[in-house]
Amino acid sequence: MSTQNNKTEIAVKPNFLQRISVFSKDYMSVVGIILLSIVFTVLSKYFFTWDNWKNILLQSSTTAIVALGQAVILLTANFDLSLGRMVCLTSCVGAILMKTYNVTPILAVLIMLVLGILLGSFNGFLTAFVGLPAFIATLGTQYISYGIAKLITNATPIPKLPESIGWLGRGYVGPIPICVIIMICIYIIAQFVTTKTRVGRNLYAVGGSSEAAFFSGINVKKYYFGTFVLAGFLSALGGLILMSRLNSVAVSNGNNYEFDAVIGSIIGGISLTGGKGRVIGTMFGCIFLITLFNGFSQLGVDPFVQDVLKGIVLVIAITLDVLRNKKKA
Amino acid sequence: MEKDYILKLQGITKEFPGVVALNNVSFDIERGTIHGLVGENGAGKSTLIKVLAGIYQPNAGTFLLNNQEQHFASPIEARHAGVSVVHQEIKLAEPLSVAENMFLGNIMMKGKLVDWKGMRERAQAIVDDLAMDIDVNAQVSSLTVAKKQIVEIMHAINNNSKLLIMDEPSAVLTDRELEVMFRIVKQLRAKGITIIYISHRLDEVFELCDNVTVLRDGQHIKTLPAKEVDKHGLITMMVGREMGQEYPKEVGNIGDTILEVKNLVRSGVLKDISFNVHSGEVFGISGLVGAGRTELARAILGIDRIDSGEVFIRGKQVHYHTFADAIRDGLGLIPEDRKLEGLVQIMSVKKNITMVNLSQVIRGGVIRSDLEEKYSEEFSEKLCVSTPSMETEVQYLSGGNQQKVVIAKWLFQNAEILFLDEPTRGIDVGAKAEIYRLINQMVKAGKTVIMISSEMPELLGMCDRIMVMHEGNKMGELNAAEATQEKIMAMCV
Repeated sequence: MSTQNNKTEIAVKPNFLQRISVFSKDYMSVVGIILLSIVFTVLSKYFFTWDNWKNILLQSSTTAIVALGQAVILLTANFDLSLGRMVCLTSCVGAILMKTYNVTPILAVLIMLVLGILLGSFNGFLTAFVGLPAFIATLGTQYISYGIAKLITNATPIPKLPESIGWLGRGYVGPIPICVIIMICIYIIAQFVTTKTRVGRNLYAVGGSSEAAFFSGINVKKYYFGTFVLAGFLSALGGLILMSRLNSVAVSNGNNYEFDAVIGSIIGGISLTGGKGRVIGTMFGCIFLITLFNGFSQLGVDPFVQDVLKGIVLVIAITLDVLRNKKKA
Repeated sequence: MEKDYILKLQGITKEFPGVVALNNVSFDIERGTIHGLVGENGAGKSTLIKVLAGIYQPNAGTFLLNNQEQHFASPIEARHAGVSVVHQEIKLAEPLSVAENMFLGNIMMKGKLVDWKGMRERAQAIVDDLAMDIDVNAQVSSLTVAKKQIVEIMHAINNNSKLLIMDEPSAVLTDRELEVMFRIVKQLRAKGITIIYISHRLDEVFELCDNVTVLRDGQHIKTLPAKEVDKHGLITMMVGREMGQEYPKEVGNIGDTILEVKNLVRSGVLKDISFNVHSGEVFGISGLVGAGRTELARAILGIDRIDSGEVFIRGKQVHYHTFADAIRDGLGLIPEDRKLEGLVQIMSVKKNITMVNLSQVIRGGVIRSDLEEKYSEEFSEKLCVSTPSMETEVQYLSGGNQQKVVIAKWLFQNAEILFLDEPTRGIDVGAKAEIYRLINQMVKAGKTVIMISSEMPELLGMCDRIMVMHEGNKMGELNAAEATQEKIMAMCV
């Protein structure tokens, strides 16, 4: 305590809501996963089996990989509406290249990833350099991607993809799916980069106050651009793993991923207002989300009701975010 | 003779988690006077205003307005009771006209329809009464800040306010605009309206106020007629201890020319500006708001494009394309808007200090938190930043401490030529003196300070030379010895 500060200090306990919201910032998603597991284990015999957990992790991996892009964009106080449809378009393009044009899988995969980067660059260009609101720019990309995907596939699913890409979504190292390992590796790298390197620190600065970052000599536009490019790349990677796991591609692939990514990020402690939260929380947030709906399915909850529940989870998550950011008066 | 009090505060206490913002504050305000309210940042002035305006409800105590006890549950109730506030940040509906703004929340009706004609006439009458040159049909967003403030005052008059609270109206005004403001405030007093006037500029308080109340650390220190106290006495009451000299100027270690600007032009903003600055010098830039002072700094620092002209640093011509280029050359800027542009409010003291010179704490591409802790502690100690820890988010520090963190950031970067844009705006007297001492330290170490300020006494007190600007032109340059407020004013217009 500084001695200069002779203001009368009185001990005040933060109220219950504040304490919950502060606690939730760092640990809510992990605690949530544990609590959910206990509840669902009691209610459903099948829930606590390795097969089911594997299933949860498999589903989480694609969502979480795409969500990382959203998390990084949210850190700079932007938003990407096109992630899910970029997943869709890149996987449709990959599938058509392999099936219709007999392009070698390795080349098709490379083209997919480059396409993701290009789509992300388009978003980044419009947002960072033209100055469009990210909402509008990415909404445009969302429609463009979905439209092209439907055009080139005629909106019909493409089943049975080359076996040589099967290992990505269906391969295992020991008992652990390869895509889960990829997810964990990516998140460990992302957590390290965001907390321990210049790029990460500047990212938080840009999100915390783009003006203050600018007046510290940080190239703010470059960071905005970079986050969208990364998100485009991760969407393509997510699309690749998803089509490998499902061994088919449909235009519904990746549907609503961008919103799942937001819910996952916010549950994981990332703030909608930018500059706050740890990216690794997003992985746990996504696993939480998938666990929740896996459990509901086990209990036989109507899928339509599940949509309602998802909306409720979104509202609760954002309410907690707003409470966290409310300054002490 | 029994005095007539419009407002009597009785034991007002307001607590926030961890802090008592107002502690048993009691004093009275005479009807039809201008009552000054002074105190350092954090003394409780803003909280007190918010209690009177119905934004906060006190935890204890009460106040009598016209001898009637009041408990405002909302700002609307306060306004109906005749209490209006002109806030520091203007709160007007920018796209609407002056007349519409004057009737906000109180629209004149003719039957079921809005009475536009009546509103315009009444608005015009108020404008005429104040002898102002404002078009009641003009869109508010097209007005200057000064005129917007006057629209707020007219809104209050139109609402039949009996008590007008003005929260630092002068902070954004030029000297000329200030005169108009003073005239209007005095005119209102003549009409019997009571005014609570809050200001950091004590000279204004003496010029304007009949009585003055000093708050310190949430407590009422004294209320007395302004005639019975001088500036020094007032400062002593505000700070709670004897203050040293207001401007503790010490001459720096002056060397060769370090910055030279030749015929700099940025079309429409800067017109053929030439000057040079020596290392170890405090070089002041004076002028009214809009004179192009900030724009000059931005152009030199590579933030805005230069249309023609040359800039030399240490004798070498430079062409900065971005601010980062200028930073690499040892230049720095402490921006005008400290809260928004100087600091990332939600980041810690530590991270803000290392933001520009992150390389210093990076080893092999990785930020070393131990080095970061060490350096940030070293620099915040050097600058006497009062903070619970290096991890505290800067948003929780006072204005003066925040400014010290911004300076620490540039000292850690080891900037040699530092532009300070309004470095003491909104900072209380105690912290101001500390910032002046830091400027002394910098120039003694051979660094160069270029200070842009609207406070003339500050420039006169701290600078070796002062350049005066007006509408993008350089009007002249004065040495510390020859400069006076009158000479600068004569050049400003």
